[in-house]
Amino acid sequence: MQRFRMRYLPFISFFVILLSCSSAYKKMQKIPGDAGCVQKFKPQFQGAVYNTKVDVVGNHLSGLLVIKTMPDSSIRMVFSNQMGFKFFDFEFSRDSGFKVHYILKQMDKKAVITTLRKDFELVLMYHTPIADAYLLKNKTDFYYAFPQEKGINYYITDSACTELKGLERASKRKAVVQAIMLDYSNGLPDSIGITHKNFNFTIGLKLLKK
Amino acid sequence: MSLALLYCFYAKAQYAGYMLLTNSTAFKEQFTAASQKTNTIQSDFVQEKNLSMISEKIVSKGKFWFKKENSVRMEYNHPFIYLMILNNGKVYIKDAQKENTVAAGSNKLFRQINNIMIDCMKGSALDNPDFTARIFEGRQTFLIELSPAAKSLKDLFQHINIIVDKKDYTVAMIEMYEPGGDNTIIHFINKQLNATIPDALFTIH
Repeated sequence: MQRFRMRYLPFISFFVILLSCSSAYKKMQKIPGDAGCVQKFKPQFQGAVYNTKVDVVGNHLSGLLVIKTMPDSSIRMVFSNQMGFKFFDFEFSRDSGFKVHYILKQMDKKAVITTLRKDFELVLMYHTPIADAYLLKNKTDFYYAFPQEKGINYYITDSACTELKGLERASKRKAVVQAIMLDYSNGLPDSIGITHKNFNFTIGLKLLKK
Repeated sequence: MSLALLYCFYAKAQYAGYMLLTNSTAFKEQFTAASQKTNTIQSDFVQEKNLSMISEKIVSKGKFWFKKENSVRMEYNHPFIYLMILNNGKVYIKDAQKENTVAAGSNKLFRQINNIMIDCMKGSALDNPDFTARIFEGRQTFLIELSPAAKSLKDLFQHINIIVDKKDYTVAMIEMYEPGGDNTIIHFINKQLNATIPDALFTIH
């Protein structure tokens, strides 16, 4: 328990820092830069299993999330509880497509599915065509912006683009979702955290098996 | 007649090494008699979650306790920590971060899952009105195939098989098959019957 707290403490504090500097895109300076540099942070899921906790408006849910790149380059995400009862099975296809192979009846709501889809697309770094991308800069960080059908996904790095400091899904004015991916090893982050700003919804992933 | 033959052939073909019992009275009597003598079960378990569509398997291990009438404790200790206690209609869950008590009666799904687990151990699986049962006989085991009757359960399970050891009529394996092709198999190993198990193991705070 103590170890778990210690493990998650750094990224909780990181969120607090991120929180204090949100909704500042307009004050940032647009600068030229190579948006392709963030591609190296794109996680390589070859069949990873993450210990997963979800807290949504006072409800706590935990389980195992399997993320696997299939031979056709699509990515499957299957979330079940520890006893094996499946909550959902999603497919993110290479051509930006999305398919629900299964979802538990109680979760089968458009808003739930859309929210999860967008959250995971941010983490998977799915819609990041370099042609549309641009770069913003604040005092310390670089924000690589990738316009989406609705809103913008930002990948925040240091000025040298060597460290992924955070991810944001944002409206024109402010962040809607903030996320982090920590401790990469062989292209795979050890911890992933997703926090919604508009309502009480967080997802925490900790790598269990590569 | 030919329909009956066809049915027998289908049943035989369904589970290799097993024959459908057309008269299951003797099995039911022995299963019930053995269950009546079993007050506690203590065992290790190995759980396999097979995600067939994506060719992935998650194996977890832990310890299992059952005590009559309605108490089950499953303690997963590898590769994750997770504890579930079922006790007289209540479900207690503790993961690495949080604990949660759910009144099983308040959630239909939990209640049904609760019933399945208790029924498997108590030997009353054959009487559960949520399922129809068929019994198959193999060399060393019986196979009880439970097919869900209610729509809500059909969404979750295609069928559940309980593999029962012939030597002591205890549950060796529970296999849960999902409509999409995935399955979860729990193997119970190193079983000890009627060992003393303190009630405290099932206490829900």
